[in-house]
Amino acid sequence: MTAAAVAPEHLGTDDVATSRRRVRPWRWVTGAVLAVLAAQVLAFLVGNERFEWDVVAQYLFEPSVLAGVGTTVLLAVLAMAIGSAVGGALAAAQLSDFGPVRWAATLYVGVFRGIPPLVQLIFWFNLAYLVPRISIGIPFGPTLVSWDANEVITPFTAGVIGLSLVESAYMAEIIRAGVLGVDLGQREAARAMGFTPAQTFFRIVLPQAMRVIIPPSGSQFISVLKGTALVSVIAMSDLLHAVQVIYNRTYQIVPMLIVACIWYLALVTVLTAGQRRLERRFARGHERPTGVRRPAAANPVEVDR
Amino acid sequence: MTGNALTAAAGKAAAATGTAPVLRLHEVRKEFGGHAALDGVSLEVAEGEVVVVVGPSGSGKSTLVRCVHQLEDIDAGAIYLDGELLGYERHRGGLRPLTPRGVAAQRRRIGMVFQQFHLFPHFTALRNVTEAPVRVHGRSRADAEREAMELLDRVGLRDHAHHYPRQLSGGQQQRVAIARALATRPRVMLFDEPTSALDPELVEEVLTVLRGLAADGLTMIVVTHEMAFAREVADRCVFMEAGRIVEAGPPAEFFGRPQSPRLRAFLSRHTAPGRTPE
Repeated sequence: MTAAAVAPEHLGTDDVATSRRRVRPWRWVTGAVLAVLAAQVLAFLVGNERFEWDVVAQYLFEPSVLAGVGTTVLLAVLAMAIGSAVGGALAAAQLSDFGPVRWAATLYVGVFRGIPPLVQLIFWFNLAYLVPRISIGIPFGPTLVSWDANEVITPFTAGVIGLSLVESAYMAEIIRAGVLGVDLGQREAARAMGFTPAQTFFRIVLPQAMRVIIPPSGSQFISVLKGTALVSVIAMSDLLHAVQVIYNRTYQIVPMLIVACIWYLALVTVLTAGQRRLERRFARGHERPTGVRRPAAANPVEVDR
Repeated sequence: MTGNALTAAAGKAAAATGTAPVLRLHEVRKEFGGHAALDGVSLEVAEGEVVVVVGPSGSGKSTLVRCVHQLEDIDAGAIYLDGELLGYERHRGGLRPLTPRGVAAQRRRIGMVFQQFHLFPHFTALRNVTEAPVRVHGRSRADAEREAMELLDRVGLRDHAHHYPRQLSGGQQQRVAIARALATRPRVMLFDEPTSALDPELVEEVLTVLRGLAADGLTMIVVTHEMAFAREVADRCVFMEAGRIVEAGPPAEFFGRPQSPRLRAFLSRHTAPGRTPE
């Protein structure tokens, strides 16, 4: 390097505005590889007649399949709603300053998050073996009402109970993390203004925690929706069970599974769009400041006396 | 300022005629893990009085106001607001802690401004100010908003009412926080180092608001490092060190003839030489 400062040779004629795009060969190679792969997949989907696309089209809107879709959505929504409500209570319990409440909640989360959902579903479905009659009464005292467990525990109630328990354990962790993420000063400011503990939680802490809670809850909803497929093992007529019933009769296994895949993907896509909307809703006050809105010095204080 | 002189006179007159103080701390003690953050602090604040608390960091000045607001539970002593014991109630000849609801009701009569503002980021400036009057005091939203606009006007932020805290400078956020604390019409306002988190050029806009409040006769306790402000606005200055009140007095004597060597050392470190009194 020469130390002397020399005037650039082309000073006056150089202008970056006139520069051309740089050729980037590896991008062309990557693009070409992806294009070939896409063509192969497409050729496989179209060219392999074992997919039997005509059968897929025939059964896609079959009434029993649509009923299965309805059951799957109902199960997922119920499990998510019950799971979120119970999960919120569990999160509050885990953050309690009363030890026994905290320990009970931690134990609950540990147990229902720790056992595979499939095992739990089968277990709940067979609850009648363990508890022949379900009763409401005074503990260790007289019974007020009682039902036969075999009548109460249908595939549907077993599915709802099993999925809700698993969901509530996961949601408890998600909500707890969200609440812990809110600055302690927010709680202090709310308390300082005379908000009751409940008002502080529901008006100040929870709305701010929602920003952190929603993205993982969205993923959670999606995994519940897919998790509903597990209830087919206890003969619950969900989407998967509906297509299984058909291919057990016709042996068109692959096209029927494709029908199920299309519906699962469609439902998940709708859920993802909903999640994006919710995220925007709770981002209030967290948008990046736009250039106009920081008139620090331009706004002299006026104080009337 | 004549306003200050009048308020100071009023405060002293009240004290002289034996009017009950608005706030009274009696031998208050607060420990954090064996270390006494407050080591037997007694203080009385008269109606309309402005008490400025100064001292080195870790001297317990922030703990003092946080204890008054029951953000910290005190370990011994008692604090009274208008003669009412804070945080406890009489029960079977002794004392027992109030319910969270009871504590919340007492807090409504005290306003607090934090060093870090702690505005609610998901509400606009206006909503920050109206939230407590509407939710806690049960006023109508229209009513609360009208009053909130007056308060925002008073701190010079009427035009920023619909901005979110993120969109405001530190000084503006702190002025909204002051308006928010005023909205509940508190008996006493507590300021916990209100300008310490601000860029130097934004300090003055907040101090200007504080001067205005003092001139209006609001009862205030201000914890601060702004010595010039203390001397100008305080009716009484309090110097704390190691959890104790070492010296207290009107600013002329406090800054002019400090009695304890510790205060003299503190003042020589924290006041510019040109400002040393005659």
